[in-house]
Order: sequence, then structure tokens, then C-alpha cells
Amino acid sequence: MNRNTPQNLVVRNAVLGAAALIITSCATVNKPGSDATIESLRNFELAFIDEFAVPHKRFNAAAFDAKVNQGNTMFQQAITNEKFTARRPVLIDLKAQFDADAAHLRSKASRGKVTPALASEMKKDVDKIYDHALGR
Amino acid sequence: MPSADKKKRGKSSRKKSELDSALDQVGDESAAAAMKEFQDLLAQAKSDTTELVRQNAKELEERLILLKKRKIDKEDFDFFIENQKRDLRVFIDSQPAQAQERAEKLTLHVLEIAVTKVVPILIAAI
Repeated sequence: MNRNTPQNLVVRNAVLGAAALIITSCATVNKPGSDATIESLRNFELAFIDEFAVPHKRFNAAAFDAKVNQGNTMFQQAITNEKFTARRPVLIDLKAQFDADAAHLRSKASRGKVTPALASEMKKDVDKIYDHALGR
Repeated sequence: MPSADKKKRGKSSRKKSELDSALDQVGDESAAAAMKEFQDLLAQAKSDTTELVRQNAKELEERLILLKKRKIDKEDFDFFIENQKRDLRVFIDSQPAQAQERAEKLTLHVLEIAVTKVVPILIAAI
């Protein structure tokens, strides 16, 4: 048996231990990171509703489209950058909710049919779906 | 039988909600039967042990009241129902097979009756 074998074993175990530690800490660091991404998407969507679901406000199609494009980019980046593959379908569901909200809001706001109840119920739904996405 | 008594007492003592009062005014016999089925299912859902089932029933009731008070219109109501369905499908699919039927009855089925039977009556009464 090679004289260096015990030393090699020690080195190998140390390397494996370090790798395990790095993987574990990555998971620990990334999960809150992933949660933070979902929280920032929630805040974006709530601000979007606050900005455009305003009764009697003149509908600005250009501003609306710019905001929707910004949202689409944010969701796309979040989906692409998501390290937890199990979370990707959740982000896709949240994107579907954003698409539905944007379509409904465009339809109502462009016809001046936004009511205070519509805005508050939309925000309630957004909060609920994001809470469920975060497992709350 | 004590349990039957309890059930009977529980039902009769249930406080009428704003929505119940509106639905009780339905005169037509077949519509009244649908309203009764809806009210019973909604009451069951509101006292279910599962938080999501209770939450769904509460939201549905609140939105029916908003519709009746014309604070939201039929388009908004349909939009919110679709949101609720989207959220519930994930929940139902995650339930054990034997619990799925009950979960569906107290969630998606209640939403369906609301859309097809209750809303037309509420709108006609506005």
C-alpha cells in the first residue's frame, strides 16, 4: 500500500466535506434569494395595480405597455435565473397571473371602468397567490 | 338522536349573511332549489377544516356581495372566479385521491354554481 494513502484519504475527505459545505450553503443562500425574487415580483405587481387601477384616471396606453414590458422582462429573468428547478413552474404560474391581471386591467382602464373594489380585490388576489407560491 | 339534534340546531341557528338574505328572496321554485344547494355548500365550505376551502368560500361570498352592490361588474366577477379556479386547481391536484372529490365539491363546484345559477339571479335582481 502506498505510504501516502492515509494522507490522500484525509485530503479526499476534506475536499468532499468542503464541496458538501459549499453545496449546502449555496442552497441556503439561494433559497432566500429565490424568495426575495418572488417578493420583488409581488411588489412590482402590486405597484402596477396601484398605478393603473385608479378610478377616473386617464388611460395612458404607452405607459401601460412600457410597464407590462418591464414586468415581462422581470418575470423572464426570474424564470431563467431560478436555480431551484421545482420553483420554475411556480414562477410560470405567477407570470400567468400577471398576464391575466394586465389583460383585465387594460380592458377596464381603457374603458374607464375601474372601481376601487376592483383594485382592492386584484391586490388581494395577488397577495394570496404570492403567499401560496412562497408556501405560506 | 343527539348528533341529528346538533346538526338540526346548528343549521337553524346559523346566522343569515347578507348574501343569504338576498338569495332567500328568490321566488321561482327551481331557482330556489339551486339557491338552497348553493347556500348549503357555501355554509359547509365556510366551516371546513381546510384553510384554503374556507378562504375560497369567504372570497366568493364577498365578491357576490360586491357584485350585488355594483361595486364590481360581471366582467370583474368572472375574472376573479378564474383567478380562484387557477389557484384551487393546484391545491386540488395536491390532495390525496380520496380527498379530491370533496375538495372539488366545496371549491370548484361552488364557484360553478355561483357563476351559472346565482349570478344571473343576482344580476336580474339589481
